[in-house]
Amino acid sequence: MIATGEPLPRVNRSMFAPRVIWVMWRRELVRYGRNRSQIFGGLSRTVLWLLILGFGLGASLRQIEGYSYAQYILPGVVTLNVLFASLQSAIALVWDRQVGLLREVQVSPAPMLSVALGKLLGGATIAVAQGSIPFLFIPIIGVPFSVTKLLLAWAVMFSMGVFLTAFGVVLASRMRTFEGFGSISNGVIQPLYFLSGSIFPIRGIIGGVGFLDIPEELRNELARLGVYAIGGGWVVQLPVWIRVLVFANPVSYQLDLLRFVLLDFRQLPMVVDLLVITILPVIAALVAAVAMAKRS
Amino acid sequence: MPIVCENLGRRFEDVAAVESVSFRVEQGEFFALLGPNGAGKTTTVHMLTTMLKPSHGEASIAGFDVRRQAHEVRSVIGMVFQEPALDDRLTARENLQIHAALYGIPGRRVKERIEQALEWGQLANEARRMVRTFSGGMKRRLELARALMHDPQFLFLDEPTIGLDPQGRRHLWESIAALRGRGLTVFMTTHYLPEAEACDRVGIIDAGKLVALGTPAELKTSTTGSTESTLEDVFIELTGHQLRDEEATPRDRLLNFARQGGEHTR
Repeated sequence: MIATGEPLPRVNRSMFAPRVIWVMWRRELVRYGRNRSQIFGGLSRTVLWLLILGFGLGASLRQIEGYSYAQYILPGVVTLNVLFASLQSAIALVWDRQVGLLREVQVSPAPMLSVALGKLLGGATIAVAQGSIPFLFIPIIGVPFSVTKLLLAWAVMFSMGVFLTAFGVVLASRMRTFEGFGSISNGVIQPLYFLSGSIFPIRGIIGGVGFLDIPEELRNELARLGVYAIGGGWVVQLPVWIRVLVFANPVSYQLDLLRFVLLDFRQLPMVVDLLVITILPVIAALVAAVAMAKRS
Repeated sequence: MPIVCENLGRRFEDVAAVESVSFRVEQGEFFALLGPNGAGKTTTVHMLTTMLKPSHGEASIAGFDVRRQAHEVRSVIGMVFQEPALDDRLTARENLQIHAALYGIPGRRVKERIEQALEWGQLANEARRMVRTFSGGMKRRLELARALMHDPQFLFLDEPTIGLDPQGRRHLWESIAALRGRGLTVFMTTHYLPEAEACDRVGIIDAGKLVALGTPAELKTSTTGSTESTLEDVFIELTGHQLRDEEATPRDRLLNFARQGGEHTR
């Protein structure tokens, strides 16, 4: 109408539009790049949890299964950053729908599945970036690290990011109005974080070498129960109700795999971890796409 | 092919936002839907533009059913919402780039289209500025230019002049007037009546029902019996003097929250 030149061709109709995925992904990244407060948040969270809590509480706890406390919570702090980044990306949808770009998208012929995919991949990419901040502190806390470990960790974090962004999108699409991220932080992020075995082990030995010597028979007995005692210390057994909540939390399995990648230590069945990490993001992404596409 | 609606209605739970409206807007026409706050103007536009599903009735645009052929409808319309639908952390150009991708404008044509849109909206020098630094009028110009970027046959404007100063309003009308010569059909809602005087036809909606339909001159003669009267007289005559108080919508509440400082998730 305002243009000169030949008319534009008709928009073709397909659910999968790589260009739409690309622009929506890039949009998330550009916004992230311009939002310094988010990067600062990730950094301050890491310092608080990994360094201050890690070394502070670590002074009392000494060791968990042979790892220092700061080492033990490293995967947990990565997860916390992934949680925050994913849910922040997702909850921005509430703004976007009421006073932002989403209505422009909804009234366009672009396929919502591709729009949602761009959003989720964007959220997951930011989650990987934010989740990598704790890696900068690895030299201080002393964990053997390698390129292979980094790539595997990124893969797990990306899957976690897709799942959590999708979960947040479903949540956001049920919210009509929004008055602060506090409720999301306290009501969603922190429960998922605390109940994932991130800051305390589901079971294991805490204490330190020589702290309390475990007799050989007890060690074997424990091994039969699945508790492998390296060194010595107190045997941890969580109250049943907390255990139930931890087992019900999908983040526990993702975190368990991440801990296996980073520290070579797991507490949950590997098969379940792998199933959760591969299948859950796909299902969540589809549910999120449907939630975003739904016309009111 | 025109815009047709037949007994179109939408209920939200127990409340009928639009009870039933039927009208036709011909190709190339400039049509305004008038009504007090909460009369159902925005709901009607949202149904026509496939943003909302009608509860009953039929509507079609250029022969495409808004319910079953949403994709086709969306490809032939351009829309400017009541509140800006821009990403305010992106620049003007970045917003237009997203639009080009959403509407599948071929890659080699994108640059030319974006330049033309920026030129048309008189924003060529602000292309690299973040939209959050724009005034209300600049945002409107950007949105209007964007809505026209993909050569729509129908342009929908929901309360396009809210928040504009007289200069901004004047510029908007001149821009739209210049487009009408080229076969574009314009459908707008407003409760600012002097604007509607220039329309080919107007419909007046109240409490979800269409209470009048015709050219401004026709409505004046039939309602007040005098061609000297204004549309405002017609409007008050038809919709009464009662004040319309509306509850703040979630969008209003969110906007207020944003104005008070908002939140870092934005």
